Amino acid sequence: MVNLAHLIPVFPFAAFVVNILFGRKVKKFSAIVSISASVISFCLSVYTLVCFLKGQGAYSLFNWLIFGGISLNIGVIVDPLTCMMLVVVTIIGTLIQIYSIGYMKGDARFSRFFAYMSLFMGSMLGLLLADNFVMLYIFWEGVGLCSYLLISFWFEKPSAAKAGMKAFITTRIGDTGLLIGIFILIFSAHTVYFSELGNLGTGPLFTAAALLIFCGAVGKSAQFPLHVWLPDAMEGPTPVSALIHAATMVAAGVYLVARCFVLFSAHGAALITVAYVGGITAFFAATIAVVNNDIKRILAYSTISQLGFMMMGLGVGGYSAGVFHLMTHAFFKALLFLCAGSVIHSIGTQDIQKMGGVFRKMKITGLSFVIASLAISGIPPFAGFWSKDEILSEILKNGHPFLFVLATVTSLLTAFYMFRLVFLVLFGKSRSEIHPHESPNVMTIPLGILAVFAIFIGLVGSPFMNNAFQNFIYPHEAEIMKPDYAVMGLSTLLAMLGIAVAYLLYMLNKNLLPQRVRQYFGPLYNLVYNKYYIDEIYDFLFIRPTMRLAKLAFKFDLGVIDGTVNGVARLTVILSKIAAWIDRYIVDGAVNMTAKIVGIFSLVLRRMQTGYIQTYLLIAFFGLVIIIFVKLIIGG
Amino acid sequence: MIPESHFLILGAALFSIGVFGVFTRRNAIGILMSIELILNAANINLITFSKFSASPDGLGQIFALFVIAIAAASAVVGLCLVISIYRNSKTILVNKINLMKW
Amino acid sequence: MSGLIQLLNSHGIPQDFVIKAAFYFIAALTLLFALFVVLSRHIFRAAVYLAVVLTGIAAVYLFLDAEFLAVVQVLIYVGAIVVLFIFTVMLTADIDSGTFVGTLRRMSVAAVASLAIFFILFKVINMVTAWKTAVPAGASISLSQLGKSLMTGYALPFEVISLISLAALVGALVIGKAEKR
Repeated sequence: MVNLAHLIPVFPFAAFVVNILFGRKVKKFSAIVSISASVISFCLSVYTLVCFLKGQGAYSLFNWLIFGGISLNIGVIVDPLTCMMLVVVTIIGTLIQIYSIGYMKGDARFSRFFAYMSLFMGSMLGLLLADNFVMLYIFWEGVGLCSYLLISFWFEKPSAAKAGMKAFITTRIGDTGLLIGIFILIFSAHTVYFSELGNLGTGPLFTAAALLIFCGAVGKSAQFPLHVWLPDAMEGPTPVSALIHAATMVAAGVYLVARCFVLFSAHGAALITVAYVGGITAFFAATIAVVNNDIKRILAYSTISQLGFMMMGLGVGGYSAGVFHLMTHAFFKALLFLCAGSVIHSIGTQDIQKMGGVFRKMKITGLSFVIASLAISGIPPFAGFWSKDEILSEILKNGHPFLFVLATVTSLLTAFYMFRLVFLVLFGKSRSEIHPHESPNVMTIPLGILAVFAIFIGLVGSPFMNNAFQNFIYPHEAEIMKPDYAVMGLSTLLAMLGIAVAYLLYMLNKNLLPQRVRQYFGPLYNLVYNKYYIDEIYDFLFIRPTMRLAKLAFKFDLGVIDGTVNGVARLTVILSKIAAWIDRYIVDGAVNMTAKIVGIFSLVLRRMQTGYIQTYLLIAFFGLVIIIFVKLIIGG
Repeated sequence: MIPESHFLILGAALFSIGVFGVFTRRNAIGILMSIELILNAANINLITFSKFSASPDGLGQIFALFVIAIAAASAVVGLCLVISIYRNSKTILVNKINLMKW
Repeated sequence: MSGLIQLLNSHGIPQDFVIKAAFYFIAALTLLFALFVVLSRHIFRAAVYLAVVLTGIAAVYLFLDAEFLAVVQVLIYVGAIVVLFIFTVMLTADIDSGTFVGTLRRMSVAAVASLAIFFILFKVINMVTAWKTAVPAGASISLSQLGKSLMTGYALPFEVISLISLAALVGALVIGKAEKR
């Protein structure tokens, strides 16, 4: 059979080029261009899957460059993980783009939106197909760039522009870790290929590399402590949120961990870190979701929580469980976001306190929303049940009681907050002057298709189908897998409990108990309501000191500029001041030294914050000079 | 004959002067002029190597031609940017053009 | 040049000495004017000095047996680019506002940086060529040779350059066009 896998990302990129260059000409047709590119990619993905089932493997296209003893081939990886992800990403991406026709109708930058969406798809597909870290990193940054462009798509809103910047900078912190991890692999193991990760050997250096690569995943998949960007990313258009949360951006982090799973599993410390970071994130994000009042932010925190679940699944060694949850979550989370988008589109607010009774007017949206909520809560036989249940049994099987407790509590919370959302938004009386109406067909049809997936996709990994998915994705593990009915029962029970509590609180005693909760658990509620003050802590610890130092430095800079004008006179003054200082404050010298040290530090920092391009250039140039000097001295 | 290294040192000196200009000029046009100096320094090197290489196939000269063409293009675009910046902000002093500062 | 050399020979002045003297004089002049370009307080004068520097470099090309490039240098740089610079200086009426050079502090830092890079380059040139005093000059490249290789072996880069020039032309028009109000 002919190798066509490498063409998959080409079509979205071509659509991007067409839309960005001729967007003003093609206008309405830009949607068709993007969607047809996605459909072609989808067909090619299915074709690749078929090829793979017939025994086709990875292949390389051509040699790109040779450096440091590594010959880098541009190649394509074709394995179960990639095939599965390709199909999922293209299906969801296509549906979201179709939905976007309705959602973005009338927007001034309609064709640019589709251009970015195509670029996003193309980057993600390239990332999935990359067979080495260098290519992965290129597409990884591409995905990051697109998320920035799309989150701040409505850049007229200052909050959107800020959210885009926040997403870009926060994920960049993780990306730096990933880059250093890749460098460690290149310098110590002379490899960049995923296929060679298995025979690296052990050693603390590789553990460090694994942890640094995980850093990248933490940033992209919004795990604690780099999760802060994801809720703010809700400033973007809702289809973008759906794409970011379901198929592309955040999935990339989990995909990276799954792709490097052999590396992680060879280093227990790295693996257990993944599990605990995931577990803590899952619990912590779920608690925030319980008290938030913005429909999209609740879904954002639920995504963070579910990603934590996936990381936990991977971290305890349940490779297929984590990947399975990644797949099912992609479907129902895309559905949830598109439903939320449909509701927002129809009534124009995101505050769930102002919604209510939407179901009567929006039957299709409402029904899809309920299905997706059942799926995420883990009610059998919906998709989320099978994957979540499998992660739970993997945790129990591999002996992590603490994580198991964390995971069960989290699934209880998940069911609770999802149905809090369902009851507040869809049922009851409307709490303000809203006039919901059903969205156009172009928006509801993707909802219907995704709803079907959200119901049935889980079955491919269920015991009824002999764990077909797990056998496909990871043939070695599935043999020892048998259904754990106790865990199944427990998780179903917990989900039911969560729904029941939500029903009691929000359907029968509407808004009464939350007030009481607020009174009794006031401080705790405030803590959670304010997202554990993490943003404020970051602001206090990193952002404000930097700004303050910069301001101080700027003032200092002005002083020095003035000083150089009357150079000699000032020098004399300074000299005499120093003399006076020595005379007068010789006893308090130590105290003043502290101030001096601060002064010296700001002396260094002020150079970085002048805002003049030449200063930046000069610093960069000095760096270059130093590097060459060192090279000359070492290199002889 | 004049040794090869003297041409190279001339190029190096011209390059250093150009670098100095890029850092110190507060006028966008002055920076562009300094960049032209840097490009010319590179051209001197290219032609020197072309002349003194073992198999003179003229590659260095062809390269220098391309560099001149690119330099012309960059000067055109750069000066155009200067004019449009001037039109918008009534100044070409780079230390007053810090719109990109956050 | 050859006519001049013959004239000198007939007066008993050695040819090699003359060429050397001419080269060092031109090199020194070029560097001096290059310093004027970066240090001059008036941007218009700097543009004129730049013309001198570029002509000097064209003369240096003559010493390297690159006559065609010397001509190109004068035509394009002195004839076109410097004129462009002068036009821009005149179009931006900011000429007389002074203070075109940076502060003393910045000047000294930049001087350190550029002297450092000069020192490094000097070191490297020293290392690689080891002050070879007499290098046999290769055969000079004829103009027709140059033209042939531009049209055959380097046809693709040549075409790319023409595309870039076109893009620069269009880009300059778009940027420079007065905005619609």
